[in-house]
Amino acid sequence: MLLLTMIARVADGLPLAASIQEDEQAFRDLQKYQSQAKQLFRKLNEQSPTRCTLEADTMSFHYIIEHGVCYLVLSEANFPKKLAFAFLEDLHSEFDEQYGKKVPTVSRPYCFIEFETYIQKTKKLYTDSRARRNLGSINTELQDVQRLMVANIEEVLQRGEALSDRNCLYEEAFAALASVAQVIACRPMHQEVAG
Amino acid sequence: MSQPGIPASGGALTGLQAQNGAASASGSSYTNGPIQNALLSAQGYNSQLPGSYSHLIPAKTLNPVSGQSNYGGSQTVSPLSNYQGPGQTLHRPPVASNPVTPSLHSGPVPRMPQHASQNPAATPMPSGSFHPGANVPPPLNWQYNYPSTGSQTNHYPRVSTGPTMSGNTNLTSHQYVSSGDPSHQNNFIKSGSAPPLNPPLPTAFQPGVPLGPPPTGGPPPVRALSPQKSSQRDVPQPSFNSPINQEGITSSTNNGSMVVHNSYDEIEGGGFLATPQLTNKNPTVSRSVGYSYPSLPPGYQNTQPPSTTGMPPSSLSYPSGPQAFTQNSLGANHLTASMSGLSLHPDGLRVINLLHERNMLPSTPLQPPVPNLHEDIQRLNCNPELFRCTLTSIPQTQALLNKAKLPLGLLLHPFKDLMQLPVVTSSTIVRCRSCRTYINPFVSFLDQRRWKCNLCYQVNDVPEEFMYNPLTRVYGEPHRRPEVQNATIEFMAPSEYMLRPPQPPVYLFVFDVSHNAIETGYLNSVCQSLLDNLDLLPGNTRTKIGFITFDSTIHFYSLQEGLSQPQMLIVSDIEDIFIPMPENLLVNLNESKELVQDLLKTLPQMFAKTLETQSALGPALQSAFKLMSPTGGRMSVFQTQLPTLGVGALKPREEPNQRSSAKEIHLTPSTDFYKKLALDCSGQQVAVDLFLLSGQYSDLASLGCISRYSAGSVYYYPSYHHQHNPVQVQKLQKELHRYLTRKIGFEAVMRIRCTKGLSIHTFHGNFFVRSTDLLSLPNVNPDAGYAVQMSVEESLTDTQLVSFQSALLYTSSKGERRIRVHTLCLPVVSTLNEVFLGADVQAISGLLANMAVDRSVTASLSDARDALVNAVIDSLSAYRSSVLSNHQPGLMVPFSLRLFPLFVLALLKQKSFQTGTNARLDERIFAMCQVKNQPLVYLMLTTHPNLYRVDNLSDEGALNINDRTIPQPPILQLSMEKLSRDGAFLMDAGSTDLPELDTPESARTIAFISWLREQRPFFPILYIIRDENPMKAVFLQNMVEDRTESAFSYYEFLLHIQQQVNK
Repeated sequence: MLLLTMIARVADGLPLAASIQEDEQAFRDLQKYQSQAKQLFRKLNEQSPTRCTLEADTMSFHYIIEHGVCYLVLSEANFPKKLAFAFLEDLHSEFDEQYGKKVPTVSRPYCFIEFETYIQKTKKLYTDSRARRNLGSINTELQDVQRLMVANIEEVLQRGEALSDRNCLYEEAFAALASVAQVIACRPMHQEVAG
Repeated sequence: MSQPGIPASGGALTGLQAQNGAASASGSSYTNGPIQNALLSAQGYNSQLPGSYSHLIPAKTLNPVSGQSNYGGSQTVSPLSNYQGPGQTLHRPPVASNPVTPSLHSGPVPRMPQHASQNPAATPMPSGSFHPGANVPPPLNWQYNYPSTGSQTNHYPRVSTGPTMSGNTNLTSHQYVSSGDPSHQNNFIKSGSAPPLNPPLPTAFQPGVPLGPPPTGGPPPVRALSPQKSSQRDVPQPSFNSPINQEGITSSTNNGSMVVHNSYDEIEGGGFLATPQLTNKNPTVSRSVGYSYPSLPPGYQNTQPPSTTGMPPSSLSYPSGPQAFTQNSLGANHLTASMSGLSLHPDGLRVINLLHERNMLPSTPLQPPVPNLHEDIQRLNCNPELFRCTLTSIPQTQALLNKAKLPLGLLLHPFKDLMQLPVVTSSTIVRCRSCRTYINPFVSFLDQRRWKCNLCYQVNDVPEEFMYNPLTRVYGEPHRRPEVQNATIEFMAPSEYMLRPPQPPVYLFVFDVSHNAIETGYLNSVCQSLLDNLDLLPGNTRTKIGFITFDSTIHFYSLQEGLSQPQMLIVSDIEDIFIPMPENLLVNLNESKELVQDLLKTLPQMFAKTLETQSALGPALQSAFKLMSPTGGRMSVFQTQLPTLGVGALKPREEPNQRSSAKEIHLTPSTDFYKKLALDCSGQQVAVDLFLLSGQYSDLASLGCISRYSAGSVYYYPSYHHQHNPVQVQKLQKELHRYLTRKIGFEAVMRIRCTKGLSIHTFHGNFFVRSTDLLSLPNVNPDAGYAVQMSVEESLTDTQLVSFQSALLYTSSKGERRIRVHTLCLPVVSTLNEVFLGADVQAISGLLANMAVDRSVTASLSDARDALVNAVIDSLSAYRSSVLSNHQPGLMVPFSLRLFPLFVLALLKQKSFQTGTNARLDERIFAMCQVKNQPLVYLMLTTHPNLYRVDNLSDEGALNINDRTIPQPPILQLSMEKLSRDGAFLMDAGSTDLPELDTPESARTIAFISWLREQRPFFPILYIIRDENPMKAVFLQNMVEDRTESAFSYYEFLLHIQQQVNK
């Protein structure tokens, strides 16, 4: 399931659009994730990796950054990553076309909230297993998603600098199509923090 | 019990005849003068028999747990919840047989001033049985305190409110509150009047020995208070820090913080009192600046936190004088202002003998009094149509307020449609960091970099961004920013003011399609209206719409994009309601517009032949709630009969034969189902608007709760029928148009703040009170009014001005989060005479009406009527005994209150409070709903209609609007003597026009009527009543100055008041 979708400006974390959770129960449960997402937006900057997956309990955040705009979605951890990223790419191309030029000029939060209609529709497309078959392109284009950065959201948020300070590390990892070993290298740190 | 009444009013009449010497022998029930039949008039009072306590509430209301602890929590407003506890039922029988009871029923005639507090056990407040001793009203001003004691005791959550409220009270009240009794307001009185009831109480507050205001029982002259007061101030403030402060800090976080907002409370900024410690966090600033504001008297320092008390003011004076800023003239100029103000209104100083000068009604609409402020301040003040106070001169102390016997409160119309509204978009909204007040025209700038809050006196920094004025494009003029130049302003909220992305506009319509409903033909009319206005619904490309219909089953309509026609889904299991498909029932209006139009066209025919008479309203509401709860939005429910099936089914309770006895009037809900569901709705940002179109009794007292607590509105079209009642058809159509197209705010909250020392204790209107003082408004509409009651907690001797600020945070239909802020500034006065001079009689009548509705529900209708009459008697007695030096005969009133007896008499004859057989129960309840939910201006019109003569209109003094000439005929007194056979008269009674037309209508008349109508959010029906028409009785019902079968004429009423006042 794709649960939360948010679009924000990287420069200042200003939320531009989002989808309201359709399911009331889920909305309550997702409050925590929503605020994590908001905090994440404030942390992101130009040096942040442009594609990343952040683990949060049984959920995963996936985001991409394109043209100074961050597209983020929360999914269950077992939701196919490539689908999630394909979904984000889809949002990106539509959003960029509709609002891309206006993004730097706005100051009010959720200026493009009307984009929600498109988000909801696209979400349906990517979560409905029947409709999904039509998205044949996914399989080929996005195979490299497996190699994307994986980190833990708590860690990123608690250590405010995480994404920027350790950027070099990330950049390298990213450039070299990060190996599993490096991902694991992040783990012990997380445990320290958590402990 | 009623014995004292008869001789007394008989006496009154005799007196009247003796004085008047012109007893009319006609006996006609409409004569203006007195009549001989003493018994007839005595009946007027005695028809409200005190026996009204003997009835029992049906057993099924006994659901104390859910009614009280789950929801009653902080609903200060809801007297209704009082009723659902067992205490009420258990309490009543003893009361009925209690020998003390007669004293509770002192009708207007045998008035017993002591009765209110003499015997707390017998006080007819239901809450008495819950918290014995906690709600003894102060002896002398019972009219104004009953709602606060009653509802506070029942609703305030003990633990959390106690400390919060104490934040701005003194030590005494703090301890009192923490001892578990939230009705802090009465702390001084109770020790004297009812000590045995609450033994721990005296010990609880005696440490704080120097009690400020003396007991209301015998207030000494006001001047005597000042020395006392200062000693009280020296008592160290309690360290009210721990729980509240954390909340306060949280709430004051801003941009860049990591704090997760979990509630609107935090977002809007927490209560005024929640953050007192913040002053201490910055002692340097406050010490060097805060307490040496030159225009304030030295005594002022003492109101501040202990860290700063005792600092000699002189040594602290801030070097750069405030003279450089226009703002700072506020306090300093006040004294001169009051002088000039007084001389400006010579008329206002007049004392009037109402028995001699009877015709006090102005021929033009009554204007609200102008607060006695320096013109520079008044120029910036809030428009009284939006925000006004019952007393435009605020009494310095509670003792002074008690002496005046006038209610202190605010009347608000916060979301009124405005022609001009400055809107500010900036990344930081400047607010006081202590009490979260929005910067406003009445703050003071100490220098360019610091401003002092006018509510809590906290000194705040001026943010860098605020230094630049976008209007003048000048840097360094913070006091010229629009925020400081406009008392009404709207802010674009940054994302900290959002708990979730702004919700889309969601409109769900729920239609009764039972046989009865189809018979009325309403569905046709409503569907047509919807079709006509579909494109005018406020919204954007996200707008969602959905439909549910119901009879004995619930029907859903799938409007999925791509379907060739709407698909109907029937759910017959109404016991365990479920949504047949989660998607496509609420659809995007843009994308499914054709399907929606299709449905609206076919819907009326679909049920044309239905034989189903049952109505499962409760389950239908439950399913509608489920459908909307993920997003929130507006639910519009159309109901035409008493619900008969499933949860929320109701039984007929009205007994027409007993209408007149005032006994067994069911003003309280018979089930808490609708209230509980409304609170669930409120939690999910769903508001329910109820359209009741029923000829039969439908128990609006129960049904209305669904709208009341979810911040919806109630519309009532009695005996709606598409053929038999064409005026109602037109009314529904016009009102639907307004309803569907008017502005709407979603997921809203409102908070009202006031200057330290004042405290708001009871709220009136449709909403749910969350966390003490935050009004939860799932929807807000431009036609809703609100009222609050206030008390003076701490004496205001150190300040000359007080301010009130309402902040309404809402999501517009375009998905913008906005905050609309109104700020009102008023002077503080120290003498009773000034308090009276500044009284706003319309606001007072409006607030009294709200209080009387609560009183009718918590006690009885006759109690409410007595309280209304006593309000006049008490205030005029106070005026006579304390202000007037020489006691002349007659009924002497201050100019400001010259219409007070008239308006109260009009209230007594209003549908809500009238006696006699005219009012059907649902109509009465509807009138009460209107009192609570209407803005003051419409409430006054329904209470005291405007009467015009329209057969001789001239262009003299006419208005010219857009090339139209609208004649302005003078307003006539509501008395038959103003009518004549050869004239045509128009009565503008708010929602119902009742004109009498004998002559052909002229263009002028039409222009005038349509002008009157354009000003209304609702559509006044125009009845044309000739002399012989049966509607004449309705028309005459509104002639409030005349005698009716069950009520005094104005002159008789004045005599009665005079007799009581001069006693």
